[in-house]
Amino acid sequence: MVAAKKNTALRVCETHVQAVRNTFPGAVLDATWQAEDQVTITVPTDMLPDVVEFLYYGRGGWLPNMVANDERPLNGNYALYYLLSMEEEDPGFVTVRVEVDPYAMEYPSVTPRVPACVWSEREAYDMFGLRAVGLPDQRRLVLPDDWPDGLFPLQKDAMDYRKRPAPVTDVENYSFLYEGNAEETTQVPMGPLHITSDEPGHFRLFVDGEDIIDADYRLFYVHRGMEKVAESRLDYDAVTFLADRICGICGNAHSVAYAEAVEHAQGIEVPIRAQYIRAILLEVERLHSHLLNLGLVCHYCGFDTGFQHFFRVREKAMDLAVLLTGARKTYGLNLIGGVRRDILDKQKIATMSYVRELRNDVEALVDMLVSTANFESRTAGIGRLDPAVARDYSPVGPCVRGSGIARDVRFDHPFDGYKYLTGLKARSHDGCDVQSRTLVRVEEFMDSLTMIEQMLDGAPGGPIRTEDWQYTPHKYALGYTEAPRGEDMHWAQVGDNQKCYRWRAKAATYSNWPILRYMFRGNTVADAAIIVGSMDPCYSCTDRVTIVDVNKKTSKILTKDQLEDYCSRRTHSPLMEKGA
Amino acid sequence: MSIIVAFLQAVLLVAIAPLISGIARNIRAKMHSRKGPSILQDYYDLAKLWKRCEVREGGSGLISRLMPPIYLGSFVLVAAGLPLIMQACPVPYLGDIITILYLMALPRFMFSLASIDSAGSYTAIGGVRELLVGVLVEPSLILVLFVMALAAGSTNVGVMAHAVASLEAYPFVAVVVAGIACAMACYIEMGKLPFDLAEAEQEIQEGPLAAYSGPSLAMLKLGVSVKQLVVASIFVAIFIPFGAAATTAPLDILLGFVLYIVKVLAVFLVAAVIENSVMRVRYKLLGRYTWFVVGIASLSLVFLVIGI
Repeated sequence: MVAAKKNTALRVCETHVQAVRNTFPGAVLDATWQAEDQVTITVPTDMLPDVVEFLYYGRGGWLPNMVANDERPLNGNYALYYLLSMEEEDPGFVTVRVEVDPYAMEYPSVTPRVPACVWSEREAYDMFGLRAVGLPDQRRLVLPDDWPDGLFPLQKDAMDYRKRPAPVTDVENYSFLYEGNAEETTQVPMGPLHITSDEPGHFRLFVDGEDIIDADYRLFYVHRGMEKVAESRLDYDAVTFLADRICGICGNAHSVAYAEAVEHAQGIEVPIRAQYIRAILLEVERLHSHLLNLGLVCHYCGFDTGFQHFFRVREKAMDLAVLLTGARKTYGLNLIGGVRRDILDKQKIATMSYVRELRNDVEALVDMLVSTANFESRTAGIGRLDPAVARDYSPVGPCVRGSGIARDVRFDHPFDGYKYLTGLKARSHDGCDVQSRTLVRVEEFMDSLTMIEQMLDGAPGGPIRTEDWQYTPHKYALGYTEAPRGEDMHWAQVGDNQKCYRWRAKAATYSNWPILRYMFRGNTVADAAIIVGSMDPCYSCTDRVTIVDVNKKTSKILTKDQLEDYCSRRTHSPLMEKGA
Repeated sequence: MSIIVAFLQAVLLVAIAPLISGIARNIRAKMHSRKGPSILQDYYDLAKLWKRCEVREGGSGLISRLMPPIYLGSFVLVAAGLPLIMQACPVPYLGDIITILYLMALPRFMFSLASIDSAGSYTAIGGVRELLVGVLVEPSLILVLFVMALAAGSTNVGVMAHAVASLEAYPFVAVVVAGIACAMACYIEMGKLPFDLAEAEQEIQEGPLAAYSGPSLAMLKLGVSVKQLVVASIFVAIFIPFGAAATTAPLDILLGFVLYIVKVLAVFLVAAVIENSVMRVRYKLLGRYTWFVVGIASLSLVFLVIGI
C-alpha cells in the first residue's frame, strides 16, 4: 500500500483514492492518472458495487455514464469504466475500472445501489453482451427488436461495420414497463413520431383520465452506430468531425469533448488562444440552443407568437455563428491540438455588437414571456423533478439546475477558456419545475453573453493550434464540455493503428432520459409535451446518429492549401469552380 | 323575401367563413413577424382536401361518418335563422333561443360521440374536453339569453335584436352586463386560444380532428370556421344589431350587409389579438375562467331583477 501520510502535495483526486483504500482494504489493485484531474482505479469485479456506491454517495460523486470496452486484444478481458465526477471536495474525475472475464461475461450490477448506471448497464449488454447480474431492467436499450440475439456489435470480432444482419422478427416486441399503483389505466402512446416533438421517441403514458400515473419510453430509433464507424473507418484525428455530426445543435460541444479526451490522454497542451476560441464557440452554441428551447416552451404552451419571436431573435445568434465559423452550425472547427480558425479583430468587434443586440432583444422577449397570461399556471409546479431523484440519477444541465443543484462542468471542472472567467457561477433555481428550468436557461443565456464578452477581451494572442505531440497507443482519458443541455462526456482510447480503439460519446440528454418518468408522474397528458420540452431533449445526440452522404457521384480532390485558403476567406469556394 | 334572405345568409356565411379564418391566420402571421399565407389559403386547403381520398380508422362506424355533415349542417341551419342583415329573424322558427342552443349542442354531442367511436386515445381525450367546455360554458350562455328574453319580452332573437337596436330593452344596465358576459362566453365557445382545448395541437395532437381525412376533414374544418363565425354572429346579432336592416328594402339590406361584415371583422380582429397574446389555459383550470363568466351572467340577472 502507498503510504497515506506522505508529506508531498497530493495529486488531484488522491484523497478519493486513499478513502477507497482505507474503506476497502486491498480493493485498489491499481491507480493511474490519465490527466491532471483524472484518475482510474482498478478494483476486483466483486467489489465494484461497493466502491462505486461509496464514491457516489459517500464522496460526492456523480455518474455521467459507464463505458464498456472490449480489451481482449490488449489484456484478454473486457473492461468496464464507471466514470465518476467528484464535485464536492477535491473535484476531479475518478474512474472505477473492473475487468470482466471473457468467458463468464458477467459482473455485479451497480444499478440497485446507484440508479444512475441503469442505461449504461443496459447498453453494455446490447453492445458487448456483458450481463449485469441483478440489473432490474434487462430490456434492450439500443438495439432494435429485429436485431439477432447474440450479435453484439461493438465486440471487436463481432461484425464488420458495413454489415447489416437480416431482421429476425417483423413485430415490435418491446414491452413498456408500468410501475404505478392504480390498477386500471389507459395507455396513451406518444410517438414514435409525435406531431409536436417531431423526433423519433416512443413514450407510453399510463393515464387515468388525463392524469399520468406512470410513463415509460423507448428511444434509439435512429441509432447508426457512430462508435463502430469511428473505430473501424476513421483515423482518430478525423473523429472530431464525426463528433460534430452527433448533434444538429450542440455538435461543437461533442467535437471539443472528443478532442479534449484525446488531448488529455496524449498530454497535448492546447495553446491558450485556442482554448479561448473553443469556449467562445461553445457559448455561441449555447446562445442559439437556449433561444430554441425558450421558443419551444412558448410553442408547447400554445403561445406561437412567442415561439416565432424567439426564433426571429435566434437568427442573430445564427448570424453570429456564421460570422465566427463560416456556417450556421459551429461545425468543423476543432482539431486535435487546437482550432482551425482564428477570431480576427474585425470579427471581434462585430461579435460585440451582436452580443449587445441579443442582450436587449432577449431581455424584452423574456419580459414578454413571463408576463404572458397563463405562463405561471402552465409551468409552475409542472414536471417536478425531486432533488432526491436527481441525486440518484445524475441528470445534467438546466434539468438538474432547476432542482436546486448547481452542477455545471464549466464551474465544477473549469476547462478551456472557462478557467479564466471571473465573477460568474453556476445558475440554479429550486422550484424543481418547468418554470425553474426555463428561468435557469434565461439566466444562462445572459451569462453566456457576458462570458463571450469577457473571453473576447481576455484572449491572449498566439498560435491557435499545436502539432507538437507524440502519439502513444492505447492511452485513454475523458473529455468533457458543458453543452447547452448539460455535460457531454467523451471517453476515448486510441489504438495502435492511428484509429480510435474505443470511443464512447455520452450526450447530455443520455443522462436526462431516465428521470423523465419521474417528472411525468402526477401531471396530465396536456403537460406531457412541455415536460419533455423542458428537458430540452436531443434525440439524435442520444442516438448518436450520423448520415454520411456516400452517394456523391462526382468527386474532386482539393489541395490542403486550397481548403485552408477557403477556410479563412470564405469566398470563392474551390468546389464551385467549373467542372466540379 | 325573408326566406330568400335566410337562404342567402346561410350560403354567405359558409362562403365567407374560410375567408374570415384566412384573415385571422394572416393577422396571426403578422403578430408572429411572419409574412403569412394568402388570406385565401383556407379555400385552397379545402379544395385540396376535397380532392383527396378518404381514409377511415379501422373499427370506426357510422357515427364517425355522419359527424362532419351534421356538424357543418347544424351550424348552417343556425346561420339561416339568425338576424344578421335584418333586425328580424328571416325564419322565426329558427330564431328561437331554445332552438339555437339545441342546434349548437347537437354538433358538440356528435363531435364527442365520434371521438369515442374512434380508436385513438388522443381523440377520446379531445372529445371529453369538448364536453367539458360545453358543460362549463353553456349555462352562462343560457343565463344570458334568458336575461335578454326577459328584457326584450320574447325568446326570439329577432325581437331581442330589435329591442336592443331601438334601445327599448329594459333594464339598460342588465343588458350591458349581459352583453359583456355573452361576449366572454362566445369567445370561449369559439374555441380559439387559450380555450382550444379539444383540438390542442401540442397537447393532444388535434384531438378528434386527427381521425379525419379528405372530404370529411374538409367538411369539419369548414364546420369549425362556420361555427366560429356563427358564434360571433350570435353576439353581434343580439348585442350590436345597430345598422341592421329594419325593413326589407334593398338599400337597407345592402347597408345591413355591409355593416354586418364590418362588425364581424371587428370581432375577429379583437379575437385574433387575444388569441395570439396568450398561452393555452390548462384544461383543469378552465373552470376558473368559466366561473367568472357565470358570475357576470348572474350579475346581469340580479340587475334585471332589481330593475336597473
